[in-house]
This record gives sequence, C-alpha cells and structure tokens, in this order.
Amino acid sequence: MKLFQVRKGQFVYYENELHRVYAVKPMYKKSVHLIRLRDLTQHLSSAAEVERYQPKELDSFIFNKKVYTLSKDRRAEVGDYILITNPTPDYLDHYSLNEIEVVATVENKGVITNNSNGIRHHEYLLMVPGRHEKSNPIEYRDKGSNEDIPLNGNESENIGVDDLLPIIGDVYKKNDKETTLEAMVIGIEGSSVFLGNGQSLHQDELMDTEKWLFLYHLGDK
Amino acid sequence: MIGKLKENSVFIISLILTLLFIIWGVFFTENLTKVTNIIYNGTINNLGWVYIGATFFFVVFSIYLLFSKFGHIRLGKATDRPDFKTPSWLAMLFGAGMGIGIVYWSVAEPVTHFTTPPFGEGYTIDAANTAMSYTFFHWGLHPWAIYTVIGLALAFFQYNKRLPAAISSVFYPILGDRIHGPLGKTIDILSVFATVFGIATSLGLGALQVTAGMHSIFNVPNTLLVQIIVIVVATIIFLISINTGLEKGIQYLSNGAMIISFAILLLLLIVGPTLTIIKVFFNTTGMYLNDFIQMSLRLKPFGEGEWIASWTLFYWAWWIAWAPFVGMFIARISRGRTIKEFVIGVLIVPTLGTCIWMSIFGGSALDMVVHSDNHALAEYIADNVSLAIFTFFEHLPLSSFLSILGFALVAIYYVTVADTATFVLGMLSEGGTLNPSNKIKMTWGIIQSAVASVLLISGGLEVLQTASIVAALPFAIIMLFMSYSLLKGLTGELDVQRRKSRVKNNV
Repeated sequence: MKLFQVRKGQFVYYENELHRVYAVKPMYKKSVHLIRLRDLTQHLSSAAEVERYQPKELDSFIFNKKVYTLSKDRRAEVGDYILITNPTPDYLDHYSLNEIEVVATVENKGVITNNSNGIRHHEYLLMVPGRHEKSNPIEYRDKGSNEDIPLNGNESENIGVDDLLPIIGDVYKKNDKETTLEAMVIGIEGSSVFLGNGQSLHQDELMDTEKWLFLYHLGDK
Repeated sequence: MIGKLKENSVFIISLILTLLFIIWGVFFTENLTKVTNIIYNGTINNLGWVYIGATFFFVVFSIYLLFSKFGHIRLGKATDRPDFKTPSWLAMLFGAGMGIGIVYWSVAEPVTHFTTPPFGEGYTIDAANTAMSYTFFHWGLHPWAIYTVIGLALAFFQYNKRLPAAISSVFYPILGDRIHGPLGKTIDILSVFATVFGIATSLGLGALQVTAGMHSIFNVPNTLLVQIIVIVVATIIFLISINTGLEKGIQYLSNGAMIISFAILLLLLIVGPTLTIIKVFFNTTGMYLNDFIQMSLRLKPFGEGEWIASWTLFYWAWWIAWAPFVGMFIARISRGRTIKEFVIGVLIVPTLGTCIWMSIFGGSALDMVVHSDNHALAEYIADNVSLAIFTFFEHLPLSSFLSILGFALVAIYYVTVADTATFVLGMLSEGGTLNPSNKIKMTWGIIQSAVASVLLISGGLEVLQTASIVAALPFAIIMLFMSYSLLKGLTGELDVQRRKSRVKNNV
C-alpha cells in the first residue's frame, strides 16, 4: 500500500494480524501508527508493510481479548459496542472512521455514546459478542499461520492478560449511579473472585469496566 | 400525536415566537422599530444595572472558581483525559467565542471611541488611551467570564452528572426532575430565543461586512439589497452542506479561518507600527487592570447613559445571547480538563489573546489617525463601521493582499458560524440530543437568516444592537441562577469525592 492511501481509522493487516491505523505521520520513517485490535497494543510500521481491509457485515474479530461479530440485524442498545464504519460527524462530534464506542443512550434517529458523540443508525455496525456461525473471521489475513492462538472465542482465557487479572488487595468500585459500593478482593479460587462484602463473581465480570471500576491496589499505597 | 407535540414543545413554541417576530418585522417594520426602541430605552434606563451587575458578578465568580477548592475537580470521569491538545483547544474556543465579531470591531471600535470617547474630549491623546482601554474592557475578561460560567456548567452537568446537553440540565440541583417539566422547557425556550438573536446579530454584522468587503475589492454597491442577497446565498450554501456530506468541508474551512487569522495578525505586526503596537499593549493592559472595577460598574446615574447603552450594554447583551452557542461548543471540547485548567483556558488565556489582537489592529489604526492628525480618516471610519477594516488595510503596505485575506476570513467565518449555529439550535430545541434531525436544522437555518434579514431591513446595525439587548435580558437572569446551581452541584461533587478519599486514607 502507498502512504497516500493510508488514512486514520482504516483497518489494515500488519504482520498478518488485524490493526487499526490511529495516526499517520508522513515525516517519520515508521509513518503508520497502529493499534492491534486483539489486545490494544501500539505498533509502528510503514505504509509498505500494511494492507487495507474494509470490515463488513458478518465479519468477526477479536477486540480487546473478546470476540465480536459485526451485525446489522438490530439497532444498538445501551451498553453495546459499535463500530463506526460510515462516519458523518456533526459540529460537536469527535469521532472518525472505524472508531469503536460504547452506547450510552438510544434515540429514534441514532445513539449517543459514552464519549458524547451523536451517531446515527446508518453510521455504525453493531458488534455482537461471540462468533456467529456464518461469520468470516478476519483477525488474520492468512489463517492457519498463527495456529498457536486458537480462534474458538474463549480468547480471554488464553491470551496473556495475567497482569490485568484481579489479585488479592485490589479495590474495585461498582460502576453504578445507585450505590457507592467499593470492595476489595479477599479471595480467588480459579476464575471466581470473592469480595469483602461477601459477594463472589467471575473474574471477567469484575474486569468489565461497564460494571466495575478498578480503583487501586492496597499494596501500592 | 399529542405525545409527539409535547416532545417537540420546545422546538414548536420557540419557532412560533421567532416566526411571530419575523412577521412583525416584515409587515409592521415601522412598528417594530418603534416598539424595540421603547423597550430598549426602558431597558437601559431601568435595567441597565442588571447587565452591569450580572456580568461583573460572572467575572468575580469565575475568578473565585479558579482559586476555589473545586479547582481539582475533573470534567468527566476521573480517568478521562482531554480529547484535544491544549494549543488546538485554545485556538478552537477563541475562534468560537470571538470569531466574526473581532474582525468587525477591532479597527472600528477604538477609532470610534477616539472620536467620541465615553468621557473627556475626542481626538486627543487621552481619548486614544481611553479608546484602547475601553476596547480591552469590552472584549476582555467579561465576555470570557460569561462563557466560562455557562461552558463550565454545561460541561459539569453533561459529563459528571450524565444529563442531556440542554440548558435546563444545568438546573438539576435546584429543580430536580422538574427540569423535564414545563419549568425546564421554559428555560430551554428562553435559551433558544436568546440564541437565535445572538446568532442573527452576528450574521447581520457578518452580512454587513461581507458586503463591505465586496464593495472595497470588487466595487459591488454597498446597499441593503446586496446585504440581503449575501444572506440568501450563504443560507443556500449551508442548507446544501447540511443535506450532503459537506459538513466535513465546513470543518476544514473553519480550521482555515484560524490559520488566516494568525497570518493577518503576524503580517500586521510586521508591516504595521510594531513598536507602537507593543507599547499600546503594555500601556493599555496596565490601564485596563487599574481601572477594571470602575469601568465594570460604570453607569451614569445623573446624566445621559447613551454611550454606555450603545456600547457596554450592547456588548454584554450580545455576549450573553451568544453564550448558549459558545458554551455548548466549549463544553464539548473541554471534557477531561480540570476546573482550574478550564478557567485558565477559557478566562485568562483568551483574554490575553483578545488584548493582543486589539493592540495590533486597534493600535495600528489609532497610530494612523493620531500621528498624522488625520481626523477625516477617523470620522470616515467611525461613520462607516462595516467598511472600517478595509479602509484601514488601504493605508497599509500590501493593502490588496490584506484586503483579500480579510474578506476571505469574514466570508468563511460567516458560513461556518451559520452552519454550526443550525446544529446547536437543533440540539437546544430537541432536548439536548446530539442527533438533531436535518429537518429541524434546516428550519433553524432558514429562520436565523430570516431574523438577520428582518433586523437589517428594519434599521441595520442599531436595530441589531437593540434586539439583542432586549432578547438577552431573561437569559441574563437565568445565568445568575445557573451560577448558584453550578455552585450547588460542585459542592455535592466535592462531598462525593471527600467520602472517597476518606475511605482511601483509612485503608
């Protein structure tokens, strides 16, 4: 691909994996700055090393360690992830191509996201969790060459996220207007986590930032 | 049907109010001029002190916020960080806050004050100094304090309290859930009404200046008919842009306007009387700070308040009428900043920016008329305010290049302001949605141009000034309550945060 064809927001393959271009800096040798969708890490590359891919309905890919399938079946609901494939931002909006945002409010004409962007229903594809059976996995251009990482949809258990997993002494706050509950992790057994208020839940639920917010670790004080 | 009517009540009622005004202006032009004059005189005689007091209060309140215990509160979640880099954030809010007006007045105002100063003799050295310090005063801390209060309130209730982007949301601590009832709707209707007039005033001034620019560059006649044609053409342009994907083009244009402004500023500093400009900047800043309180509260209890009404009160009203529009914009681009950062960025830095701008434009213009004792030129500028900047350029080196740059700047500002105003009006009138429908945006597009035309037909600049003084008064009162509500909201937020840190410290 040539540099003048690369735009901010495009999905591209780099080293066989799906990335999103977050910046193009023509003055630099490594001019194309990418974020790997699988684990949201940053990578620098040049235009010659990337190849564009345009996401469409029924494509499935891993975003931040979870699998999603793009769909147009229904309108987005509160809490859904959306991929903005057809951006037409208004005056007060601040988003660009292939931005992934979380829906905060649903209106007749469109949705409002957590980043206070107003997005109309025709501008986005819905990201449905899980891999649809008819879906076309797009996280690798050349499937099969990365066999060490399975495509079975349980990525969260396989990919190195150990440093993010809850450990004893982590204090979390419930992300809810109604309560001001804050609780510390006091026990872990396998993937279930026990909190100081007597509650026990799955570690994935605790790591879902829509439900719980990590505040600090006791040992870091 | 009734449900839908209720949902759109803000839009429908404010539309009917403005339509009534337009019909009045078109069919009973004389009567409109007469009545607005009566209200105008009544307002400045009896209620001028409201404007003076309220704006001074906003300055004090913003400075209090800067140094208060609320300074560290972040607009948004604790983890949010600003969307924009600080320089582009400052450039954007400066453009939104002053934009079209600063080009119009930066030469005209100091020179007009020089010919008819607020006190003392005209055409003297003293008059020149007074002229500059009053220009600083009208464009300095007061307008930015108004924007600070409304922008901060909108941002805080939108991002920290998660309420819709409507003016009524700001009253949540006072009104509670009644913000969704008739009281909240009334607030929204008044804010839409004030905004329409604020925008119409700017568009009217813009049309005057675009026509003046065409007159001085292409020799197009400088008449009312041409001004109306300018408005119609601009309306068609932004209606097309709403309906096609040209919105992005508008964004590029508005970035272009910022670049042109800086280019003109730099060019003037070099080709103009550089040393005088620097001296004017320091001298006037000193005078402005020294006389700040006296100027802020100046009224004429025992004499004619004509000068104060046609300048100070007009500006205060115009800024207030323009505030929902600018406040909305500033709130949107300021998420992730702390209150301290916000006040420094919206009150202090832009004030400095306007002072520099005014020193460069006003300083060189005054230098021209004072040093060569050119009274005729000063009179000509004061009599032809909309031509002022082009007359000024004619007396500088590179004059035709500067004129064309100036004209491009005014024309771009005009279209971008008109276009973005339709979005904000759509948003305000649809209960703070970020997805206003195209139909409503187009309706406001046509309405705002119609109001601007009606105001120009019924008497030009003076009627523009009168109308905004009248329309902004209710909103000035609303803004006072807004400050109280903001204070209440911030105190509540502080309690929440204090509870959090107590828990942390105990651990």
